[in-house]
Amino acid sequence: MARTILDGAMGTMLQSLGLGIGEKPELFALRNPEAVLSVQKDYVKAGSDVLYSNTFGANRKKLEGTGISTEEAIEANLKIAREAAESENRKIKVALDIGPIGELMEPLGTLSFDEAYDIFRQMVICGQKAKANLVIFETFTDLQELRAAVLAAKENTSLPVWATMSFEENGRTFTGTDLQSMAMTLDAIGVDAMGINCSLGPDEILPLMQRLRTYTEKPLIAKPNAGLPDPKTGAYFITPAEFSEGMSKFSDIGIEILGGCCGTTPAFIKALKKASGSTGKEAAGQAITKKISGVCSAAKAVPFDRINVIGERINPTGKKKLRAALAAHDLDFVRKLAMEQAQAGASILDINVGIPDADESALMKEVVQAVQSVVDLPLMIDSSDPKAIETGLRYFCGKAIVNSVNAEDAKLESVLPIAEKYGAAVVGLAMDKALPSTVEERMQHAKKILKKATEAGIRKEDLIIDALTLTISAQQDQARNTLEAVRRITGDLKLHATLGVSNVAFGLPQRNRIAASFLTMALQNGLDLPILNPNDQVMMDALSAYQALSGDDRDCQNYIERFSQAEEEKPKANQNSEMTLEEAILKGLGNEARLATEKLLETTEPMKVIDDYLIPALDRVGDLYESQKLFLPQLINAANAAGKGFDLLKSRMKKSTTQSKGKIIIATVEGDIHDIGKNIVKVVLENYGYQVIDLGKDVPVETVVKRTIEEDAHLVALSALMTTTVQSMKRTIEALKASGHQCVTMVGGAVLTEEYAKAIGADYYSKDPKQSADIARRVLG
Amino acid sequence: MEVKLPEIRKTEVLKYLGYNGQELGSALEEQLRRCIDAVASFARPRLTYRIFDVKNFEIEGLKLEGNDIRELLKSSKQAIIMAATLGAEAEALLRRTEVSNMSDAVITDSAQSVAIESVCDAFEAKMRIFYREENLYLTDRFSPGYGDLPLDSQRLLMDALQTEKRIGLAVTPSGMMVPRKSVTCIIGISDRAQKLERSGCGTCMMAEKCVYRKQGRVCNGQNHT
Repeated sequence: MARTILDGAMGTMLQSLGLGIGEKPELFALRNPEAVLSVQKDYVKAGSDVLYSNTFGANRKKLEGTGISTEEAIEANLKIAREAAESENRKIKVALDIGPIGELMEPLGTLSFDEAYDIFRQMVICGQKAKANLVIFETFTDLQELRAAVLAAKENTSLPVWATMSFEENGRTFTGTDLQSMAMTLDAIGVDAMGINCSLGPDEILPLMQRLRTYTEKPLIAKPNAGLPDPKTGAYFITPAEFSEGMSKFSDIGIEILGGCCGTTPAFIKALKKASGSTGKEAAGQAITKKISGVCSAAKAVPFDRINVIGERINPTGKKKLRAALAAHDLDFVRKLAMEQAQAGASILDINVGIPDADESALMKEVVQAVQSVVDLPLMIDSSDPKAIETGLRYFCGKAIVNSVNAEDAKLESVLPIAEKYGAAVVGLAMDKALPSTVEERMQHAKKILKKATEAGIRKEDLIIDALTLTISAQQDQARNTLEAVRRITGDLKLHATLGVSNVAFGLPQRNRIAASFLTMALQNGLDLPILNPNDQVMMDALSAYQALSGDDRDCQNYIERFSQAEEEKPKANQNSEMTLEEAILKGLGNEARLATEKLLETTEPMKVIDDYLIPALDRVGDLYESQKLFLPQLINAANAAGKGFDLLKSRMKKSTTQSKGKIIIATVEGDIHDIGKNIVKVVLENYGYQVIDLGKDVPVETVVKRTIEEDAHLVALSALMTTTVQSMKRTIEALKASGHQCVTMVGGAVLTEEYAKAIGADYYSKDPKQSADIARRVLG
Repeated sequence: MEVKLPEIRKTEVLKYLGYNGQELGSALEEQLRRCIDAVASFARPRLTYRIFDVKNFEIEGLKLEGNDIRELLKSSKQAIIMAATLGAEAEALLRRTEVSNMSDAVITDSAQSVAIESVCDAFEAKMRIFYREENLYLTDRFSPGYGDLPLDSQRLLMDALQTEKRIGLAVTPSGMMVPRKSVTCIIGISDRAQKLERSGCGTCMMAEKCVYRKQGRVCNGQNHT
């Protein structure tokens, strides 16, 4: 296998040729093209087969205020690189080099996927125009930013796309991406080569590359630094010989594309080139690529070589509360569902947001982003709308599953190309227009889906067949057929199998007893991706028992852990409380507050419990907080405990009387990402009985105005932490006033004071959560 | 590089929470322990620093505004610029906790503030000892936002250290560091003994609102002076 030799560092070289501290190399090239040309010619002489253009930071964010556009910087630097490439009479490629934008993406930072995509789009279009031979995205640490980059290149140019990320020695990037997730994700969106660059030297990167080699069949790139820098000076120490010695081990494991990053010079590349002309002869044999399919999030790979539970709870079908939450964009509700399922042992989460009269695609984007901000599980994008499926796949960072296609031609033709584009796994329902009744029908459908999926470019390992669970109370013989189909799908066709397990018991008492037995039978027949409610103990117990019996659970360790814990917790659950509601709330004990409320309800009307017990208890909490008898965690615990009481009361009251005390819009203003203060106030206000509509953090001025008017809210609470973002708070207040909508504003946040709040036009300043509740009462009653 | 997280002291966490001697009770004690343990297990602190030359009270190659930084460096020939972060993992923990239990989140937030401070303290102490052996003395830690050193100087310090590449620390357009639990600072290296007064409140941006100060106390226990 012939090796491809890349170049070495550019920045370090330019510093010796007069690049100032803090000066941008891309711009240095404009005033000093000869310097850049000489460096790149030196790399050509040293033996580079590919030159990276001097355009790492040529994005419009980094060039802002320099007077130079991305187009100018890329064109000028590619011209230099091409000239260097043509300086010798052999074929040398020029790669358009693109680094991270320099701002962190949501949810960590404020840069959105769409904006990142657009920034990269501009760069790659310039690069193609300026005759780059390929695009290299390097030094990325955020997989989602890299996805935006790769998609921009694939959708807007015809250039081959290479991608490398920087890892720490533990095999993760700064944002937590591991090697396998990177490999799966980049394979899914179809890069042409991938690998690791920067941050470490050859010796530290070698073990990472060994692992990466087993995760993908793509050509691999290794571009390490010249060892580790001295922290004091930032200087590198290893010699070209040592570097090339280290790099020779990469060839031995079949890494084809080699170069140097920070601290390396033409001398390093020369030594690298000289060391060996090709990869080791055993390379191909040694690099055993385990062909494990699977899915992943940005930080977690879920291989399909074991049983993986798919959590079904984020699906509004038959779930009133979730439907209402989705309609109200109450994303915290969805986040909670996601976290609970992850906690309970789900490996993958199904995401279905189909509610009437909603823009499903827009909602899919919101929910996917919300869920992946709190759990690191891969997602299954569940929709019948191809547009919503594509949106889900686009914004999910990782490799997802599409749920679903069936054997109808129209369905296959509309959904398979989308799945192929994003490299997603696909669930195929073994049905066409009608539900199947025999095993044979199911198999026919499965085979057709397999054929069509293969034709569409979807790998067989990425196909999952759903043999369809029907209800035994209606069609008792169907359970048997489903089970037999699962056996043949997994045994004969060697495909993965999924089932919505609990459907089997629809209409029967104690549904999960039947469903749990059905689960066990289906697992025995080869089911590996059961869709179920992971919070259902009976089902998860059955799974745990099955894995102990099948031997998947080595030495029954998980089983023992699961059930010995369960026994320990028992006595606690039976606790009986004699606490009054006020005591429970003051102590911040939710369960006790609930029990006390329950008790009061035996003799008292719900409304009276609120007026005579709950609200006075909360008032007392407020007074104690004011007089510093309680401090912040105690205040919030008390509010949470009161909330448990409220929840119970609400469920006992008739609809007409459960109206909230009023609506409050709450947001952390544009540019600000500190939302803890806002969230504290939200919890307290909610538990005082207000309906709080939380717009989140970094909320654009227009969004606050729009939602306030839409919701017809008359109190808007705004939070900002820093002096810089108090300015956007001011703009938000001004815009609210200018809109003519009748509303009162209250503001809070670390740097605000009473006078400051007045100066920016706020109606109220709230120094703490207690005071915000007082203000709400004054404004809304 | 990754650094060890020093123990997160409960008393420090309570201080950040505005604790004033209230009775804690066993449930709250347990809650504090649980939250502090979670921070200790999730945070992966990383730190990077470089030594720069100082000439005419200025760090070479960096244009920092204000008189206070010149005052700090008045007898220094070199300065350490340091940046530290608790990492994206800590940020994700806080994000999850804010969804599951706001009261846990408040405690977690405070525990993380204590954690990043203690990472800086440990670094400072280590450097102090190292330089003392060379008969050199360190000034106080001085961060953007202290005194008249503008908050947006953060960007300059971060660029000088290439924090995004080295420790995954970036800054938003509105000047906020992400991950949020991060610190940048400057420490002068001098051949003269230094009068340390960081815990004096005069240089703190929160001075006007500080609850400790109103009670006649200081937020970090003992005074260095």
